[in-house]
Amino acid sequence: MITPMIAALLALPLQAGDRATLEVPIPGTVMNLTLQRVPAGVEIPAFWITATEISWDLYDIFVFSLERGTVPDGVDAVARPSRPYVLPGDAFGHAGRPALGMTFHAARTFAQWLSAITGQRFRLPTEAEWTHACTAGANDTTMAWYGEKAAGRTHPIGALAPDANRVHDLLGNTGEWVAAREGDSLVMGGSYRDAADRITCSSSQRQRPFWNQTDPQLPKSRWWLSDAPFVGLRLVREP
Amino acid sequence: MMDDLSRRSFLKTSAAVAGVAAWSRTAAARALRGVPLRAGVIGCGGRGTGAARDLIAAAPDVTITALGDLFPDRLARSKAQLTQAIGPQLRTEGREFSGFDAVAQVLATDCDLVILATPPGFRPQHLAAAVAAGKHIFTEKPVAVDPVGVRSVLASAERAAANGTAVVAGTQRRHDPKYVEAMRRLHDGAIGEILSGQVYWNQGGLWHVERTSGMSDVEWQIRNWLYLAWLSGDHVVEQHIHNLDVANWALGGTPVRANGVGGRQVRVDPSYGHIFDHFGVELEYANGARILSMCRQQDGTARYVGEYFVGTRGTSDGSSWIRGSPAWRWTEAEEPVNPYVQEHADLVASIAAGRPLNELRQVAESTLTAIMVREAAYTGQVITWDQILASDLDLMPDVEAFGTMAMPPVPAPGITQLNRPPFGYAQESPAGGR
Repeated sequence: MITPMIAALLALPLQAGDRATLEVPIPGTVMNLTLQRVPAGVEIPAFWITATEISWDLYDIFVFSLERGTVPDGVDAVARPSRPYVLPGDAFGHAGRPALGMTFHAARTFAQWLSAITGQRFRLPTEAEWTHACTAGANDTTMAWYGEKAAGRTHPIGALAPDANRVHDLLGNTGEWVAAREGDSLVMGGSYRDAADRITCSSSQRQRPFWNQTDPQLPKSRWWLSDAPFVGLRLVREP
Repeated sequence: MMDDLSRRSFLKTSAAVAGVAAWSRTAAARALRGVPLRAGVIGCGGRGTGAARDLIAAAPDVTITALGDLFPDRLARSKAQLTQAIGPQLRTEGREFSGFDAVAQVLATDCDLVILATPPGFRPQHLAAAVAAGKHIFTEKPVAVDPVGVRSVLASAERAAANGTAVVAGTQRRHDPKYVEAMRRLHDGAIGEILSGQVYWNQGGLWHVERTSGMSDVEWQIRNWLYLAWLSGDHVVEQHIHNLDVANWALGGTPVRANGVGGRQVRVDPSYGHIFDHFGVELEYANGARILSMCRQQDGTARYVGEYFVGTRGTSDGSSWIRGSPAWRWTEAEEPVNPYVQEHADLVASIAAGRPLNELRQVAESTLTAIMVREAAYTGQVITWDQILASDLDLMPDVEAFGTMAMPPVPAPGITQLNRPPFGYAQESPAGGR
């Protein structure tokens, strides 16, 4: 029996002003998504951000429709990516590592799917939110997979020390899609293949043709980038 | 044709002027100006259309002058895509053909070069016709699905060589600078004599096309060509040929025998035809080297595509690193060469230089290697190179119109024979009893 007190306790994380960690169960799976609270900044209200980059474990559930049981309203309406062909990052390893090589469109659609399945409002960070999360957490290269330390590949999410807000891998590992101004999209924070000068909170890259040049088909996939294993994502949740 | 002759003589002189003869296979793909070839596309699916785009990216003065596809809807889609992608280099008015005679119609136009990108089962006859018509060729891989087809392609290869016809195949690793450099080093002995290795193409599933009312068996099978051995050769031939080609390249020859396993385990719905969804086959080469070949198309399973070689003095992935003497690591450019464009650059440059590349025998041998791997798994027998080269296995039915077509049986190791009627024995019961 759930007493009002227990119900209040269960509800606490969703409304707590000072709790810094939230565990969101993913319905139809045995997985939780951990969120960390990023305090407000100048003209940026406080928000929740995933503690890690989105893993293949979760992204596969989206791609292959692996969630089980009752599907909440709206989930069926969300488009799913095409099956991945082969991705240059396949050799890095899979379980526990960051999902990669998705287009900006796919990353945004993933957020829509996660929102539909959890009933919460997830989306890609804005450029300002991402940069604020990075600087507010006092991220630096000691917390990042990059350069020689990364040895040319991604590493399991959350393996290095977190930042001041208990968020992992904002810098390095995979770069991360954000929504920039006027419908633009950027990849933030540098990646495993970058040198230290690109492992900064203001490091951004716009998609370039070579990120998707060897998809031999015309038209090319709208879901997968054939040559960008250094691109991944994390999400923010609206309060 | 005067037009044709004058264009060709122009090419000869312009090649010398432009210094195209200084062409290098490891040079980065850069736009090759001043080569006004005319090209036809035979098979206007995603790959044929993509190859046309890549050809123009390699040589922007080439024009696409003819399009041919069995299906009018695919022809229209390809034209729309190319209009967007290459704009003024698409000049196909009056030379857009669909139906079963589209191939002959494209070959009858005054194009210099054809892209062959239909389902592979048709390739041997298209290659023979294109060589007979005197066209230079970009051919997608594989170039056949059975030994009878491979022997036809070997004959076309000789005829092309005798005629000075250029043929480049879509085994694009052969044009990828990192593979070219790694192989040069392996052939120089950087890891000693290669004794063993593994080659992989493991991935999830691919697209398929739902059957709509009124769609004939033939149309359904050709639209779902991946899943019919007479059209694709099975995924081991259609896709894993890339990695088997790398093994042959590294070993400097073709294997002498194959032995292995395979099956249809997960992708069992009849909408996926009759092919297998996984293979694991050991190849033995003349020096005794053993190469394990593994390929899979099963959704949600670990993806990996690559190669690995073990020599007497080191190891290598055949493309980006060597642990040996000398040790070596490929340094990728900030913007890497696109091998799908480079292969067209190499083709056009070789035509312009009057030194036509001819990769047809090489890709035919790699195709036969993949067919040998498939047949080892299908039959459950050890299959030798001599056996597969001499086999009378001919999977191609006569297809000249849309109509009824049986579904070939799912191969069963221990039961399926190498030399077999591809659509089964007449006395076989529908339930598959024997």
